[in-house]
Amino acid sequence: MNKKLVGVLIAVVLVAAGFMFLRPKQELPTAPSAETAVDLKVGFVYVGPVGDGGWTYMHDAGRLEMEKAFPGMETFFVESVPEGPDSVRVMETFIQNGAKLVFATSFGYMDFVQDVAAKNPDVVFMHCSGYKTAANVGNYFGRMYQARYLSGLVAGKMSKSNIIGYVAANPIPEVIRGINAFTLGAQKTNPKVKVKVVWLFSWFDPAKEKEATLALIDAGADVIAMHADSGAAPQTAEEAGVYVVGYNNDMSRYAPTKHLTAPVWNWGMVYKHIAGQVIEGTWKSSNIWWGLKEKFVGLAPISSEVPEETVTLVNSETENIISGKGDVFTGPIMNQKGEVVVQTGEKMSDGDMLGMNWFVMGVEGEIPK
Amino acid sequence: MRYRILFKKRYNSTFLFEGFLSLLSVIAALFFAGIALKLFGVSPVRAYAAMFRGALGSWYGVGEVIVKAIPLIIAGVAVALAFRMKIWNIGAEGQIYIGALAATAAVRFLSTGNQFVMLSTMVAAAFLGGGIWGYLAGFLKARWNVNEIITTLMLNYIAIHLVEYFIYGPWRDPSSLGFPMTAPFPASARLPQFFDSRVHMGIFAAILLIMAFRLVIRWTRWGFEIRAIGDNPKAARYAGIRYGRNILLLMFMSGAIAGVAGMVEISGLQGRLQHGFSPGYGYTAIIVAWLARLNPWGILIVAFFMGVLLVGGDTLQIVMRLPVASVQVIQGCILFAVLASEFIRNYRIQIVKRERE
Amino acid sequence: MKSRNDRYLAVMKGIEKSFVGVNANEGIDFDLRSGEVHTLLGENGAGKSTLMNILSGLYTPENGSITIDGEKKTFKSPRDAIDSGIGMVHQHFMLVPTQTVWENVALGLKGLPFVLRKREIISNVLAIQDRYGIHVDPLAPIWQLSIGEQQRVAILKMLYRKADILILDEPTAVLIPQETRALFATIRQMVAEEHGVIFISHKLDEVLDISDRITILRKGRKVATIPVENATKESLAEMMVGRKVVFQIDKTLQNPGRVVLEAKDLTVRGPRGRISVNGFSIEVRQREILGLAGVSGNGQEELCDSLAGLRKPEVGSILIDGVPLEGEPARTFQRRGVSYIPADRLGTGLVTGMNIRENIALRKFWRKEFTRFHIFVHWENIAGRTGQLVERYGVLNPGLGYPARMLSGGNLQKLMLARELSDDPRAVIAVQPTWGLDVSATQFVRETLLEQRDRGAAILLVSDDLEEILSMSDRVAVIHNGRLMGLVENPDRVTEEQMGLMMAGTRLDEFSPQDHESGKSPGKAVPENHEIQDPL
Repeated sequence: MNKKLVGVLIAVVLVAAGFMFLRPKQELPTAPSAETAVDLKVGFVYVGPVGDGGWTYMHDAGRLEMEKAFPGMETFFVESVPEGPDSVRVMETFIQNGAKLVFATSFGYMDFVQDVAAKNPDVVFMHCSGYKTAANVGNYFGRMYQARYLSGLVAGKMSKSNIIGYVAANPIPEVIRGINAFTLGAQKTNPKVKVKVVWLFSWFDPAKEKEATLALIDAGADVIAMHADSGAAPQTAEEAGVYVVGYNNDMSRYAPTKHLTAPVWNWGMVYKHIAGQVIEGTWKSSNIWWGLKEKFVGLAPISSEVPEETVTLVNSETENIISGKGDVFTGPIMNQKGEVVVQTGEKMSDGDMLGMNWFVMGVEGEIPK
Repeated sequence: MRYRILFKKRYNSTFLFEGFLSLLSVIAALFFAGIALKLFGVSPVRAYAAMFRGALGSWYGVGEVIVKAIPLIIAGVAVALAFRMKIWNIGAEGQIYIGALAATAAVRFLSTGNQFVMLSTMVAAAFLGGGIWGYLAGFLKARWNVNEIITTLMLNYIAIHLVEYFIYGPWRDPSSLGFPMTAPFPASARLPQFFDSRVHMGIFAAILLIMAFRLVIRWTRWGFEIRAIGDNPKAARYAGIRYGRNILLLMFMSGAIAGVAGMVEISGLQGRLQHGFSPGYGYTAIIVAWLARLNPWGILIVAFFMGVLLVGGDTLQIVMRLPVASVQVIQGCILFAVLASEFIRNYRIQIVKRERE
Repeated sequence: MKSRNDRYLAVMKGIEKSFVGVNANEGIDFDLRSGEVHTLLGENGAGKSTLMNILSGLYTPENGSITIDGEKKTFKSPRDAIDSGIGMVHQHFMLVPTQTVWENVALGLKGLPFVLRKREIISNVLAIQDRYGIHVDPLAPIWQLSIGEQQRVAILKMLYRKADILILDEPTAVLIPQETRALFATIRQMVAEEHGVIFISHKLDEVLDISDRITILRKGRKVATIPVENATKESLAEMMVGRKVVFQIDKTLQNPGRVVLEAKDLTVRGPRGRISVNGFSIEVRQREILGLAGVSGNGQEELCDSLAGLRKPEVGSILIDGVPLEGEPARTFQRRGVSYIPADRLGTGLVTGMNIRENIALRKFWRKEFTRFHIFVHWENIAGRTGQLVERYGVLNPGLGYPARMLSGGNLQKLMLARELSDDPRAVIAVQPTWGLDVSATQFVRETLLEQRDRGAAILLVSDDLEEILSMSDRVAVIHNGRLMGLVENPDRVTEEQMGLMMAGTRLDEFSPQDHESGKSPGKAVPENHEIQDPL
């Protein structure tokens, strides 16, 4: 009995000592407020960890760029928020802590953004890649397919086996659009090329991304393209000695010798734009869908191994797209069965592109139905 | 004079002692996590204050904690029931998915405007669906003695992929532009929420299940059989308790209860079946059940505590600008402390004077 | 053999050792001379094993000294003890079943080359075999050997290591009488070769037969060390128990009634699918104790499990009061009044983590009087019944809500008897009911079984202890390798020799005529695989 008591005492003393050791420092006043400073707090809901090296990493880079542009602005973020009811609480907590602008950076938050927005009419919500709007909810996304198309030009040129592997996250229109644009680009420089698609059914799963890459290399692919959030695929391709087209940002740090180029995001410009509107009070609900023209999307530096003619081609195609002379999905475009979906000379409408659920000819793979 | 530490096996323990240990392990966990926070360069006391303010400082926070606790309680009861018989059902996650899938099927095929009928049908479907999923593993165990840890774990993957098949395929909302989720449920298929919060009717299911769990284990013949098998399967066989039949029934019930957790989650919060709707409730429930030492009211308390931790974790990220890893560190610390307290529970630690040698 | 040598192989002085508050050894002095058999005698828990585990380096004593061959030693591990020439043969032999005899002998030898010199080792083994008269095939794998042969391997192993001191922990518990005799011959040979043997036992006849000196322990203390010449069975028992012991079992003659428990041509598979009981037939009648003798592991457990409904027989039928029950669930057997006292009290008979009430409930909770609304256990009624039973059977306990593991061995057995015998069972299957119990608890168990017999129960008594079987039973059956070797109608007139032969696999009807004038007409032995008439 005595010994038990001694044990308890020791535990209590240890804990007490611990708390003394961890005694709080003097609280400091937090906000350094200059006269010119903006008084806006912004919350970011991230689907992955900031350190994913891809999707969330780039959003976070955009956040920091925005923060820098507006002195005094305060930003919050929460990482790895599941695309479910938990996101509601994260957004509510932002608002409780004074956020007046909330960016939700993944599609799955769409309904929850609507719920929270309805309860907080004085807060502006911007949802990335969704399609539902409200008086205080807008959407923003980029015409990544344009940059994908350009990267396809490079990849097609560099493939000798005429098989390009494509590690794809989830079979949704955004990804399908990217695969199609990429394939059209690759076919332009290499008409015989086939693009093999492997689905991950996950945005961020480095282990699966690696496995899929290896499977595609086994299947004969000598160039790997990817639509996933981490840098696992480029890393794997580098190890296997296969060319790779990155995504989200310049991924040459994962594949120093094999990285050809990468379609990249520039979130900072769109975040600055939206924050500016909110600060000025000119913000109105809208769907932002910008592309190469606005420099929302672009191409990472092209590898020196790519022939000069191809680089020239990429530049001229970029000009074409920016000037509006020719967009990526301009007819004739055939689906996998060989049926003409977009007639010659016709341009696909934004609405059709946003709901795209078919593959162009030359893609090998299936869209789960 | 020198001292040495002795570890001696402990044979008896009281309820009070168990409670004290659980408390001690939590304190120890916060202590260790505090060291980690300190290493991150954050004052632990301020961090904990922020956490608890975020979770319990407002009615909103409390509501959110309860919302988090509901599926953990229900799934916690599900696994604790199985653990009582030393059947290691770690498939609650998959059973949650199948329960949600079955409830969604009920919404699609048996839709009715009558809320009571609709919800009852959904619960029944989830119960049956989760139950069948648990029964599969139980059947393999009872019939061929296949290790249930492996089968339940494998069935988790199958369940998750099965749900993906439906939400990417036949059940995809046609108006979602091809995004993987079902159409929103009609109002009749939604569990009512109260108090202007997201706390939903699932809370009653959770409390009811806690009470039922206690009643079954303590007072019923079946509960006695479960305990006897759990404590000594050979003696249970000798007592004429049928092992196989009990496994089947137990795994069915365990799966069924976990299935209800899935239904409650999508009907109370989500309003549709969506990719990845459970952030690992089935696995967290295992931690909850252990931390509660399989005690019914303990599950309630621990699930609430877990809710505080998860909700407070968000606040921690927002206010203290800590990475998500910090919350995971704290959770890891708790698990570690549980293991340590398990040792203290089984062994008496004595510090004795060493006699001269 | 009685020639004594004054060379002391081992001297232990003032040995003290305690476990969680229990003093297992309190200042014990013990010594062993070369060329003698020194027996350590005592009841379970008297401290014999603790003392020997200290000598063999398994435990470190808290106080006291050990001197081996004149040199003071401190053993830190069994290895140290082996190096000092001490070899212990445990009750469980610690052999590797899949390896051969010579491999087991070589296992753990010091300074062996990486590649074993098989031929050298085998020739050494054979030399030792010749010298001591221990015979076992060095190339046979352990699992093929009988328990007695395995014991020989364990002894060989110690002799191979040139152990001067051999500790044999209850070596005869697993042997039939013939094997015991062979073992004793080996022991005598070892003693003649100047080894010292420490013999642990509680079977008094054997002790008197083999020992030179006897040390008696009781409750952790030494009572006395006496030369065998000064010992009698009665004096030893009195020193062991601390009071006078009556070796008489009051057994009145009873007229057995009709057959209650009956097995016909029973074939049962064991846990690994091996046939453990092979075409076994037996009848147990009202008001009789039928003893089943045999070396343990010959199918007794599987037979009893199937008679109690816990194991489905492959072939054959089981009748309780003439009603065939094979294939029925265990609970039907319980309903029909079959009680079962399994050998493994802690592992099977009781749930030690549950409290005393729950242990009484274990095989009764489904009964109507203990059930409420079909699904609930009526704990009040259980508690009431438990209170009565604990009192009637004298189960000493700290409280009915305490876990059973807090009871002593004897009280655990009483608790199990209380549960199994309280509802006037029709048939009782009792397996090793007195194993490991002290003398008074043993006596209680035996008297209780006899009471049940006199009340009218049919009792099947299974035991390794031939003495117990012969003194308790009205009739005795012998099992070997799952088969019935014979049924002895009058146990008073069978010799130990004959019992041993049957236990080793000779059928009663194979004996020459003069051999079984003792018993019975051979025709009455129930032959295996042979249809017998339903006596009803």
